[in-house]
Amino acid sequence: MWIWRNLLFALDSAWQNFWRNAAVSMAAVLSITLILLLAGVSLLVGHALGQVLDTYQQRVSVLTISVADDTPMAAAYDFADQLRARPGVVSVRFVTKDEELSRFSADPRNQQLLEQLEGNPVPAKLEVRVAALSDIGPVDAFARQWRGVDRTDPTDYQGDFVGNMLRLRTWLTIAGLGLLAVLTVASVVIVMNTIRTAVYHRRQEIEVMKLVGATEWFVRGPFVLEGVMTGLIAAGLALGILVAAYRPFVHAFQSALFFVPLTYDPRFVPVLGSDLLTAGTLLGALGSYIGVRRFVRL
Amino acid sequence: MVIAPDFGPPSVISFEHVWKTYPNGTDALRDVCLSVPAGDFVFLVGPSGAGKSTLVRLLIREERPTRGSLVVHGHDLGTMGRRRLPWLRRTVGLVFQDFKLLPRLTVLENVMFALRVLGRPGRAVERHAREALETVGLGGMARQYPCELSGGEQQRVAIARALVHRPRLIVADEPTGNLDPVTAWEIMQLLLAINADGATVLMATHNRDIVDLVRRRVVAIERGTVVRDDRSGTYHVDLAEPAVRAR
Repeated sequence: MWIWRNLLFALDSAWQNFWRNAAVSMAAVLSITLILLLAGVSLLVGHALGQVLDTYQQRVSVLTISVADDTPMAAAYDFADQLRARPGVVSVRFVTKDEELSRFSADPRNQQLLEQLEGNPVPAKLEVRVAALSDIGPVDAFARQWRGVDRTDPTDYQGDFVGNMLRLRTWLTIAGLGLLAVLTVASVVIVMNTIRTAVYHRRQEIEVMKLVGATEWFVRGPFVLEGVMTGLIAAGLALGILVAAYRPFVHAFQSALFFVPLTYDPRFVPVLGSDLLTAGTLLGALGSYIGVRRFVRL
Repeated sequence: MVIAPDFGPPSVISFEHVWKTYPNGTDALRDVCLSVPAGDFVFLVGPSGAGKSTLVRLLIREERPTRGSLVVHGHDLGTMGRRRLPWLRRTVGLVFQDFKLLPRLTVLENVMFALRVLGRPGRAVERHAREALETVGLGGMARQYPCELSGGEQQRVAIARALVHRPRLIVADEPTGNLDPVTAWEIMQLLLAINADGATVLMATHNRDIVDLVRRRVVAIERGTVVRDDRSGTYHVDLAEPAVRAR
């Protein structure tokens, strides 16, 4: 019961204090809203990029292994089974020489070449689909060691493209984490200084509280709640702006850059919402916690 | 030799060879020895800068003693951790020269505030606060704000706030310092009544008239040292009528 009473007291104090220092509180809310907007935009860009990468990944995550003409069919099937047993391999399909020739013939650019050739010069293939782009390298190395592989042109995949995509994703993740760290520090400093101002405004009240026997956390509680309140209001504002702008922005982007497969994903909105609200709460709590630990002592 | 057992009231405050040295090297208190039994009324007198305020700050553990032992209500304040401080302060009622009332709260809310921060239930808080205001004679002013009251009335509110959680010790630092003589005497009467009800009172003061009129225990401090401890004393040493020494 007393916990409930203390919580009500802390909430009431935090709410009153938020509005009593309305100018400082609103400045903090707006600053953190901007920071969370930046964080939200980077989350959305990250998600959009992820969507684009996934689309490209589906296209390039296939490795083709050329089978030498003298390799017995049984050995090829046996190797296909070995590939299927490898982690990261989603599917393996055997393409016969005839099937591959008809696929080759279907391309009009190859017609002139086909007229000059006799028999079937194209090798049979094993088409290996992998789960992640990073799985292609090991599968390629494994295939090149197989006796039945065609030594003139053992494997084929878009190696450079795959490598570049993997590097891009790594660099974007590092840049995102760096940006996140900078934004976190900035938010914590802003909340900390807001709390410092609030502590200064309420110094009389704090002094009386201490002298009549309030516990340290009874005095600190309202300030931490005020920080959480600041973070939550800022997160709500940032979320509202992002949700309102997301769909129109994607539509505008699609009409300007139609070749980039970017789509509006409504399933990402709740994820964005929970991420921003959690971030706002944690940033507010962390900033105010550090603030009260520094400025409110018995 | 037969040592007679001491059946006197237990000490509420006990200073044993207490020193307080500030970081700049100033000795604010030097080898203070002082014992205040339960139910006592003690005037702490001395010139400005003598160490009275330091002694009061030590009593509420705003400062720690540098050396020696200081025990209040059985708690050694030299070794007491920060977490236990609130429980010490709940046993002490504090009254200050500048009242320390919260200007945006009414008289009743100011007194209730002291109980609310202790997490007491709402209805009991209001009942106890009204009782405390009745005790100091301000029952009819509950809804007024501190700025609407005279200095004496504000000090009464501060005393009501100090009393409301029923402390066993009242520490008053210059409670009559900002008041005219008549109002100061009214406040003094109030503190004496509280003492008569069983609370121990320690009052730091410069008010010579009151000390000389009331004739209670007087502890005089000069340059951080207790120079006089009279059981029924005056503000200055009374040469014509030597006071009975308490120690």
